[in-house]
This record gives sequence, structure tokens and C-alpha cells, in this order.
Amino acid sequence: MSMFEDTGLALVGIFSLVMTLACYSGAKYAYGKLKFWWLSPIMLAPLGIISLVLLLDIPLPSYFHFSHLLTLMLTPAVIAFAVPIYRERHLIAKYPLTLSIGVIFGLLLGLISSWSLSKLVSLPPELAQSVLVRFVSTPFAMEATSSFGGVPELTAMLVLLTGVLGMIICEPIFRLAKISTSLGKGAALGASAHGVGAAKASEIGEEEGVIASLTMIFTGIAMVLTAPLFSPLFT
Amino acid sequence: MLQTLAQVSLFSLLAIICVQAEQYFNLPIPGSVIGLAIVLLLLLTKTIPERGVSLGSAWLIGELLLFFIPPVVSVIKYQSLFEHYGARLIVMLVLGTVFVLVGTGFVVDRVFRFERRMNRQRAQASLAPSMEG
Repeated sequence: MSMFEDTGLALVGIFSLVMTLACYSGAKYAYGKLKFWWLSPIMLAPLGIISLVLLLDIPLPSYFHFSHLLTLMLTPAVIAFAVPIYRERHLIAKYPLTLSIGVIFGLLLGLISSWSLSKLVSLPPELAQSVLVRFVSTPFAMEATSSFGGVPELTAMLVLLTGVLGMIICEPIFRLAKISTSLGKGAALGASAHGVGAAKASEIGEEEGVIASLTMIFTGIAMVLTAPLFSPLFT
Repeated sequence: MLQTLAQVSLFSLLAIICVQAEQYFNLPIPGSVIGLAIVLLLLLTKTIPERGVSLGSAWLIGELLLFFIPPVVSVIKYQSLFEHYGARLIVMLVLGTVFVLVGTGFVVDRVFRFERRMNRQRAQASLAPSMEG
């Protein structure tokens, strides 16, 4: 009996993993063909899989049986960020002040705004604590969130929503606030919308994209390193 | 393809070693960031060439979304939380994002203009030192 259950769990687990990969590559392919922002894999892939899991009534433990292995890749992905830092070392050496100010302001404004706004609209603790790291890239956010008492799964969702929001509203905001330099736009997008923002920034311009990626990486590292220091202030 | 796979495996191996080291020595810095520092150091000292890691790095960064889809799926567990607080959550997410976009963009815009001016002055000063003296 229990052997049947185990085989069942493993089968649903394999099915879930295959389904996740299929949804992800399908969404990527669709976006490559039709460049509508609402087809962007960051929206379509999670939506597709969540709908399937709900529709087929797959229990979460079975869903995670194998697909949790994908999440383990977040650690090597952080290490991989060493390469873009190395590649852009000359740009970093050219604008050390601008980049550091972007990282420091992005990090602090993100923490302060998340903290005060969640108090203002009175979010329950699990959301209020998970929302603090929402502006940094997922691998860093999931690492840092436990320092603030956040829930990694909720954090992943909030980071994703934040990225999509930043991508949608950045252009009118830049016009209204008269943010016009490539470094201003790039740093703002990297600090407020992490990977999604960096992708958006590289659509605006090459330098914007590079600055957004660098700001995203350094804000993420800074968040992970300072989270234990900031946690007594923001909890 | 094979090269990418080999490089990704190397990144993963380093990740395992660094996370083990973090736990064993109870380090305050996460293993992932230690690994990043190690690879950056190896690249800067030319111990490893950039092409030895660039394919694997590009793949890991390019497919980042795939790696965090599973935790996003578990928000199903928190359905009632989103039903209750969804509206306020969206309001605060939008306001906060506007705040960070404007704040960071505005400050960096100014600092960048200043630093660009400084860089130009320095460049001019080093180009024509004899003209002034």
C-alpha cells in the first residue's frame, strides 16, 4: 500500500517537474514570438503553473517532490553574478560614486518604504516581514528574508510582483519625475525591479541595462550582508 | 552545450562547498556570496579566464526565473491571506515602487552629472598639464 503511495507521489512529482519546465519554456517561446509585456515569462509561467496545480488539484508536497531541486540552483546563480561584475569592472571604476549612491539609496529607500507602508496599511506580520526585501533579486531576497522573520515562499511572490510593477510603471514615472540620464534610469530600475527591471532597462538602452544589472547585483549583496544589522530596526 | 553544462556543474559544486563551509564554520556571510567573492577574485587575478565561466554564468542568470517558480507556486497555501489583504498589498506595493523609482532615479541623476563633470575635468587636467603651468 505504502509502496503504491510512494510511487504515486514520485509520479506526480515527476509530472509536476516536467509541467514546470514545459510552462516555463512555453512562456519563453511565446514571448520570443510576440513581444507583449503581459506575455512576459515572469507573468505567464507562474500563472500557468499555479492554474494547472489548482485545476488538477495536485497536493503541494507532491508538486515539490522534485521541483524543489530547481530552487537549489539559486545558490550557484548568485555565484554566477561574479562574471558580469568582472566584465563591467571598467564601468564600475569609472562611476564608483554614482553606483554606490544608487545601491545605498535603493537599499535604504526600499527598506524604509516597505516598512512604513506596511505599517500604514496594517499588513499582518507574515506579509509585513516578507515584504521588506522585495526590491532585491530573488536569490538574495530568499537568503535575506529570514533575518527579518519573513517567509521565503511569500517573499518570492512579493519579489515577483514588485519586478512586474516596476517594469510596467517605470516609463511614465521617468517622464513625470524628469529622470533622464542613462545611469539614473538604470539605477532606478535595478534598485526597484531587480532582474525584470534590468531586462526592461536593456530595452531602453545598453548602458541603462548594464547599470541596472550592476545595481541589482550590488543591492542584492548589500541586502544579504546588512540584513542581520537592519533586522532589529525594521521588525 | 556541453561546455555550458560543465561550467554550471562547476558553479554548483562551488555552491555546495561554500554553503557547507558557511555552516561548518558558522560564518556570518552566506555561502553564495562567499562563492561570488571567490570567483570574482579568481577572475581579477587571471587565475581563471573569463571564457572558462562565462557560458555557465550566462545560463544560470538567464534562467533565474525558472529556479524561483516553485516557491512562487506555494503561495497557493496563502490564498486566504491574499484574499484578505490583496487590495492593501497592491496599494502599498505600487506606492513603494514609485517611491524607490523616483528617489533612486532622482538622486543618481544628480550624482551622475556631478561625477561625469569630475571625470571630464580629471581627463582634461591629465591631457594638458603643461598648458596650465
